[in-house]
Amino acid sequence: MAMIDEPLYPIAVLIDELKNEDIQLRLNSIRRLSTIARALGEERTRKELIPFLSENNDDDDEVLLAMAEELGVFVPYVGGVEHANVLLPPLEGLCSVEETCVRDKAVESLCRIGSQMREADLLEFFIPLVKRLAAGEWFTARVSSCGLFHIAYPSASETLRNELRTIYSQLCQDDMPMVRRAAATNLGKFAATVEPAHLKTDIMSMFEDLTQDDQDSVRLLAVEDCAALGKHLEPQDCVAHILPVIVNFSQDKSWRVRYMVANQLYELCEAVGPEATRTDLVPAYVRLLRDNEAEVRIAAAGKVTKFCRILSPELAVQHVLPCVKELSSDSSQHVRSALASVIMGMAPVLGKDATIEQLLPIFLSLLKDEFPDVRLNIISKLDQVNQVIGIDLLSQSLLPAIVELAEDRHWRVRLAIIEYIPLLASQLGVGFFDDKLGALCMQWLKDKVFSIRDAAATNVKRLAEEFGPEWAMQHIIPQVLDMINDPHYLYRMTILHAISLLAPVMGSEVTCSKLLPVIVETAKDRVPNIKFNVAKVLQSLVPIVDQPVVEKTIRPCLVELSEDPDVDVRYFANQGLQAIEQVMMSS
Amino acid sequence: MFNKIRKKGHRKASKSDGAETPIPTNNAAPNPDVTVNHASRTAGAPSQPLSLDCLGHSSGVVEVLPLLKEIPLSERHALFIRKLQICCVSFDFSDTLKNAREKEIKRQTLNELIELVQSGSSKMNEIMQEGLVKMISINVFRCLPPAMHENTGSESGDPDEDEMFMDPSWPHLQLVYELLLRYVVSPDMDTKIAKRYLDHSFVLKLLDLFDSEDAREREYLKTILHRIYGKFMVHRPFIRKAINDVFYRFLFETERHSGICELLEILGSIINGFALPMKEEHKLFLVRALIPLHKAKCVASYHQQLSYCITQFVEKDYRLADIVIRGLLKYWPVTNCGKEVLFLGELEDVLEATQSEEFQRCMVPLFRQVARSINSSHFQVAERALFWWNNEHIVSLIAENRHTILPIIFEALEKNIKCHWNQAINGLTANVRRMFQEMDAELFEECQRQYEEREARAGSLEEQRVLTWKRLEEAAANGC
Repeated sequence: MAMIDEPLYPIAVLIDELKNEDIQLRLNSIRRLSTIARALGEERTRKELIPFLSENNDDDDEVLLAMAEELGVFVPYVGGVEHANVLLPPLEGLCSVEETCVRDKAVESLCRIGSQMREADLLEFFIPLVKRLAAGEWFTARVSSCGLFHIAYPSASETLRNELRTIYSQLCQDDMPMVRRAAATNLGKFAATVEPAHLKTDIMSMFEDLTQDDQDSVRLLAVEDCAALGKHLEPQDCVAHILPVIVNFSQDKSWRVRYMVANQLYELCEAVGPEATRTDLVPAYVRLLRDNEAEVRIAAAGKVTKFCRILSPELAVQHVLPCVKELSSDSSQHVRSALASVIMGMAPVLGKDATIEQLLPIFLSLLKDEFPDVRLNIISKLDQVNQVIGIDLLSQSLLPAIVELAEDRHWRVRLAIIEYIPLLASQLGVGFFDDKLGALCMQWLKDKVFSIRDAAATNVKRLAEEFGPEWAMQHIIPQVLDMINDPHYLYRMTILHAISLLAPVMGSEVTCSKLLPVIVETAKDRVPNIKFNVAKVLQSLVPIVDQPVVEKTIRPCLVELSEDPDVDVRYFANQGLQAIEQVMMSS
Repeated sequence: MFNKIRKKGHRKASKSDGAETPIPTNNAAPNPDVTVNHASRTAGAPSQPLSLDCLGHSSGVVEVLPLLKEIPLSERHALFIRKLQICCVSFDFSDTLKNAREKEIKRQTLNELIELVQSGSSKMNEIMQEGLVKMISINVFRCLPPAMHENTGSESGDPDEDEMFMDPSWPHLQLVYELLLRYVVSPDMDTKIAKRYLDHSFVLKLLDLFDSEDAREREYLKTILHRIYGKFMVHRPFIRKAINDVFYRFLFETERHSGICELLEILGSIINGFALPMKEEHKLFLVRALIPLHKAKCVASYHQQLSYCITQFVEKDYRLADIVIRGLLKYWPVTNCGKEVLFLGELEDVLEATQSEEFQRCMVPLFRQVARSINSSHFQVAERALFWWNNEHIVSLIAENRHTILPIIFEALEKNIKCHWNQAINGLTANVRRMFQEMDAELFEECQRQYEEREARAGSLEEQRVLTWKRLEEAAANGC
């Protein structure tokens, strides 16, 4: 054991710590790797620390994961970009371990380092590393290599590029489905770096191989490649090579494949151009909207607005809208919910007339849905419709929906609607709010569930912000202050909390004249919890009100509380007094 | 183990054979108590007829045909193909009344085919065999519905309700599986010809179905795949590799698969048949697939089968014990007590077959872990670990190496006696402690002395660590 005046050997400390039986200690020391590196200096970090780490890759996965992560940001500690290559060997080792998380993190770190490295170093160190991994005996190395090609490729020479493409193509036909899946996953990223000429030939033939794989799980990933490749191809090539594939996939017998297509389809529209979209993609999409499998319909319904945004309004009205109508009464609540979460966005796409004529009935029927999520999803996007047709057409149906949600027996539903109240208030305007919703907002302050009371307090604050202090003086403050005498101490506590939130919004004058007297009065409550909350609120008011008020009202009240029989009350009162002292000192 | 399963298969078959009702009626509709617990599963299976063009027929009409045994030999071939065609039609089972007559005809036809194949009364030519396998493929190779965990389309999804999924189309599916099983096991089948139809692609698709959530289906698949493995020597390496791929995907990508248990049951019987000395390929399989299977969260669902496979390996070649034990230690659960109990049980089985030399190679890390388990605040874990001392073989291994082992676990024993909350654990620990004391009093005292010394030093060690890191921080800040 090193004593205090003995010389310090940072590497020895690390070795010692990494031998420890307690994994937490080992993890801690890896997390502080940068400290050791800085203590060693750049050169010794390169020559001693990094080689040591390269050999020490037999630890628990958790430690290895931390190491893979730390090494990704280690470039400054080894002497900057020109020495970045020394970090490659330990990460290369981590690319071949068994645990997926570790490998993924190592690949991520390698990409991060590779993208900073100088071109010559990439050629000398990085590309050979990719080739070694791709030729790895065990599949883990080969899987990792797939995620590195897009970093290696741009700086390679012509011959090397040929070689890299050949290697990738072999990975796409690897014996192990694991490797083929990794190749499929990364094909889009790799394709983005390949020259157009080779893209059309080499990459497309890899893509075709993958789309015909005999494993479902590989074909599934090829669907994702469709959109990614489509972005890099010329429209005519896209129509010739990608379009038939995706149309085929959209009728695949596996619902998983169709599900993927439903998620991806809109991204292809731009790539293939308007004509092919009209003739091929719209019919495919319509089929997916009417799929037998609810999962597929959920995915398709969730993309309906994105898809329509790309189409001309006529096409949307003619082909997509009829399906939307069907979906709004789908047998699966999750389909309806997915639809409700995006359908409001269609209003700007279709314009005022079509919205009133076609969409409004759907909105209204979804607002009456038996499943609260559906209703909530509609309410949450109200602003999008408001811009197009105004709120009046909806407000008749809105109110019952809101009231019902406000009284739902699941508190999470109530919570969700409270969070939308400020949005509703801004969309519906003061008039509507005063008449209908004001009472609800006060009612929530007395909810049985804490989270609701808490949210309700925040809600009155946000309303005060939205409509201004003058309005709040009339419609919020009196009602709130009224409740401070509630017999139940939990409700009194909620009101205290609401007051503390309202004070900054209302400003100094109202706080002194209206709020402060109530708080001071509450300091005489019989419940200690109320009293120490008063102390907390008083402390929070110190920065808002003027100095004389602090001296005249707040301080005496806190002094009194600081002599309370209850220890907690005394504690928070003293905290408050200290805060006052600090403000005095600094001013 | 496997014979039991086979018998079950037979039982099922005979039941359905007996229940032959000649006239199709609505009453003969499929099992009404089939549980269908979400919307998308019921939402219509494809009901359009699938044609058998390549066999020279295309009409999909389902009609009552004469029995094969009632017509002259010369016409049997054509009628057989016609019957296969009827069986290719898939029906929507979400509605029991829909196509009730056609469903009954298909059921009877399938039963007739099963009887035919089973009796071996008429040998099938190649075209008939090809058609038969094609028909079976059309029926069973379907995309499985969304599994419980990935299904968001379900109504009233109560996660507590652990209802087993039952495929609504099972009444037909079961007969088709039965037919396939009869075909595979029939003594008339020439594997040289049949392997053309039951090819790699067929095997792969069969393996995909193991993910089915219907336990009845997995049971059939297990029996069938095992028979195929037994009969088709040419497929063996391929099947083993394909099973490995399923495991890898489960381990490294999805962590979800319904059929791991069944696949392990097949493997258990395969491993049993491995010749000695064991091939390198098989050892790699142990290290790369079987041992890592301990990592998954849901190991409890297939642990018994896995443990059987693992102990088979060690019993066949005791030199593998060291690898297995280190492997288990690597995947030792950190917070899952249920899993830890399973691991301790499995290790005990492995140790039963372990010889002194292999034991010595891994005893240090092994007993460090055992020490931690003894101290577990979950009494079942501590209890399971302490039960090892009831095992004669293990105790003799420990006694032989007590000079290494006692110093490792001494602290754990002391700690338990001082402050384990559970009375039974206190007692068990005291027994083990006494056992060591009686075994070697001198060693025991030495350990006691060392333990007290360490206790005294513990605080200063931690202080030292904090201090060292502080100095490192300073050095780092100064950039020396």
